[in-house]
Amino acid sequence: MERVDGLLNRARGILVGARALTWAARGLAIAAAAGFAIEVLIRFYPIDPVLPELAGCALLGLVVASGGWVRAWPSRLQVARLADVRLGGRERLSTAVEFAAAEGFLVWRQRADAGAWAAEADAAAVSDPGWPVRSAALALAAGGALLLLALAPNPALHNLRVQRATQAAQDQSSAQIGQLVKQAEKSPNGSDPQQQKLVQDLKNAQQAVKKAPDPQSAVAALSQAQSDIRSLQDPNLAKKEQAASAAGQQLQANAATAKAGQALSSGDNQAAASQLNQLAASLPQMSRAEQQQTANSLAQAAAASAAGNPKLSQALQRASDALRQGDTAAAQQALQPAAQAEQDQAASENFNGDSNQAINNLQQTKSQLEQQAQAAQQQGQGQSGQGQQAGQGQQAGQGQQAGQGQQPGQGQQAGQGQGQGQGQGQGQGQGQGQGQSQGQAGQGSGSGQGSGSSSGSAAAKSTEKVYVPGSSTGSGTPQGSAGDPTTGTDSNLVPYSDYLAQYAATAQSEVDRELIPADDQQLVREYFQNLGS
Amino acid sequence: MATAREEQKAPAEITPERFSEITLAIEAELSRFMVGQADLIRLTLIALIGGGHVLLEGVPGLGKTVLVRSLASVLDLDFARVQFTPDLMPADITGTHIVTEDDGGHRRFEFQPGPLFTNLLLADEINRATPKTQSALLEAMGERQVTVGDRTRKLAEPFFVLATQNPIELEGTYPLPEAQLDRFFFKLLVPFPDAAELAEIAKRTTGSTTIELSPVAGRSELAAMRELSREVPIASHVMDLAVALILATHPDKAGAPDEVKRYVRWGASPRGLQSLVLAARIRALLDGRFNVALEDLSAVAPAALRHRIFLNFEADAAGVASDAVVQAVISAATEGAKPR
Repeated sequence: MERVDGLLNRARGILVGARALTWAARGLAIAAAAGFAIEVLIRFYPIDPVLPELAGCALLGLVVASGGWVRAWPSRLQVARLADVRLGGRERLSTAVEFAAAEGFLVWRQRADAGAWAAEADAAAVSDPGWPVRSAALALAAGGALLLLALAPNPALHNLRVQRATQAAQDQSSAQIGQLVKQAEKSPNGSDPQQQKLVQDLKNAQQAVKKAPDPQSAVAALSQAQSDIRSLQDPNLAKKEQAASAAGQQLQANAATAKAGQALSSGDNQAAASQLNQLAASLPQMSRAEQQQTANSLAQAAAASAAGNPKLSQALQRASDALRQGDTAAAQQALQPAAQAEQDQAASENFNGDSNQAINNLQQTKSQLEQQAQAAQQQGQGQSGQGQQAGQGQQAGQGQQAGQGQQPGQGQQAGQGQGQGQGQGQGQGQGQGQGQSQGQAGQGSGSGQGSGSSSGSAAAKSTEKVYVPGSSTGSGTPQGSAGDPTTGTDSNLVPYSDYLAQYAATAQSEVDRELIPADDQQLVREYFQNLGS
Repeated sequence: MATAREEQKAPAEITPERFSEITLAIEAELSRFMVGQADLIRLTLIALIGGGHVLLEGVPGLGKTVLVRSLASVLDLDFARVQFTPDLMPADITGTHIVTEDDGGHRRFEFQPGPLFTNLLLADEINRATPKTQSALLEAMGERQVTVGDRTRKLAEPFFVLATQNPIELEGTYPLPEAQLDRFFFKLLVPFPDAAELAEIAKRTTGSTTIELSPVAGRSELAAMRELSREVPIASHVMDLAVALILATHPDKAGAPDEVKRYVRWGASPRGLQSLVLAARIRALLDGRFNVALEDLSAVAPAALRHRIFLNFEADAAGVASDAVVQAVISAATEGAKPR
């Protein structure tokens, strides 16, 4: 049996090697076919990333190859049978193996005969006939098709990536608004109904952005939130400030009212209210002549503030009239509404600061969201169905871009409010911006406003350092150098030039997409060219 | 190399070499008288060594009777010939009691053995006898005994029936029933000789020389050869193929080929499997091997199965012979038996 065993061992080695090759080819074919199927499948049901699935296919091929190889491992009897067939042994080997332990004369002769035959047999001929051509061809074909599919564009996968990118952008925007909500809730004016309404508007915007079906809807929700917040602001605050300042200048002429006048002129409403209360308290100690002078000053101040701040003007006029009649008690009582008006104005300024910050932050969020959505849409350009979504986004972005172009906050409201009439919106935005820049310059928070309002005039100077309104703290705290924005708090602001290219690109994109009326396109181009020059 | 433990003596009185030697001597002696027909002679010898009966089918004049007669001569066996005719009665072949008178004038019944009481019986044109007479052979062929009256008598040992039948001139014949056919070890078709063989036949039989056959083996050698052949080992997968061959002849079995499902009414019996395996063992020894090969089964399967497959009317109508069905069975079964 040694010869038979030797032959069978050699034959088994050859068979195992050949079957390893066969199963490797089969495993490769299965892996390639499965990968091809995955590539076809993700064209209808996109998966991103698809690499784990492809790795799974490779693993499947490996498992099939190794499992098949192990299962195909031939037993001794199987090797003997194969050797009998392929070497022409006429069942000598298999009979010898099966009857290896049997006794008997013919059995012994049979083993001897098998041994003699095995000694002359060539074990190499026992190998499986031929190469695994079919499996290898299938593997090659499926692998090639897989490679082609992997390299070819996959519209469904692109759509999925765009959706994920836009959803991530929306989530990021929602998180940013959440930060705004926290800031607004921590504000000292938290109990103020307007402040509560501001917080509620921000929360609504956060939910709307998070649940928006697409970036365009999210941007629209942000614009709506901006509009809602703007509607909470006092639109006449600037006029009131101007009127109070004019009244203060009139009061500065009288020594008795000089402090109150100075406070009013400087725009420090809290101090002005305090000084007006002190003035009311000091009225009984004044001589008659002083009272008359004070009455005159109050009358002049009332006249100066009549147009912009009727409440203050009326209170000052009533105090003046009472003093003229020598009724100091009535004059004192009349000055209290004036002080209250200044306190209210101070509160309004604070709220305006908070709301402006919220609006600017929302604007920033909106811009980021638009850019991310635009970037995501550009990925899907040239793909069926994607073009329609882009068109929708462009329509939604029309109003947004008008607002962006008119950065000065308040002007934006006018632009958005008119929406379809961009030419008119632009004009109104500029007009309001200029007015505000003057008024707020005295408060030191007008740097952003000024940049927008100038629209290619003063702000276009290359030496001028202008800051985007979105980065302004907007707290309304005096900066001490009202007329020179370059001396503002640079550390808290971002240079305008950092954003200019981005805004110019956005504007140019809007122009290119013909979302801006043809008559206004040149105006927009010149506007940004002037800013950049 | 054989180990010491494996050094064993042959238990039978005959070695494999002697087995081949006797067989080759018989074939050589027969070939002196018979022209061609080597396969027919080999298969007939296989059946005789296996202890089976043979049904020879062929047109008249092909040497069927000569073959049987020659076999009896070279094997040194008693020989008897019965020409089966429609008026042949069972007692004509089994024997009967006759009234005899001894020297004292006393009469008594005495059994007069029929031609069955021989070693080698030639049943010529067996299909011309009536079913009654054909059936009288059943017990003799199957049990190797004859019952006449109330007494059963053993037949001589060995007992072979070599029956012939003519496939033409079927008028007035009685086809053998299935039970009768199943008792034949082989059914052999006697082929028509080719031109060279015909010329050789003419040369041998029309000359002045008379060929005398001499016996080369006797009863004891035949018995020893039969005993030795039954010890040839057969691997399990070879046995599985034999079983698969039998099962494939049954139309209701899973492995049956389409030809069987369509044309076969009833397949081979277990007796067919016995014939198949035993014939394969003998063929292996005759081939100088000590194990049964798959090809042994394929080689003897037509002779062992063709008379055990009973075709239906559709096969008759389509002119399908049982040999074609057997070939389909062999192809299907061997294909399924190939190792993977």
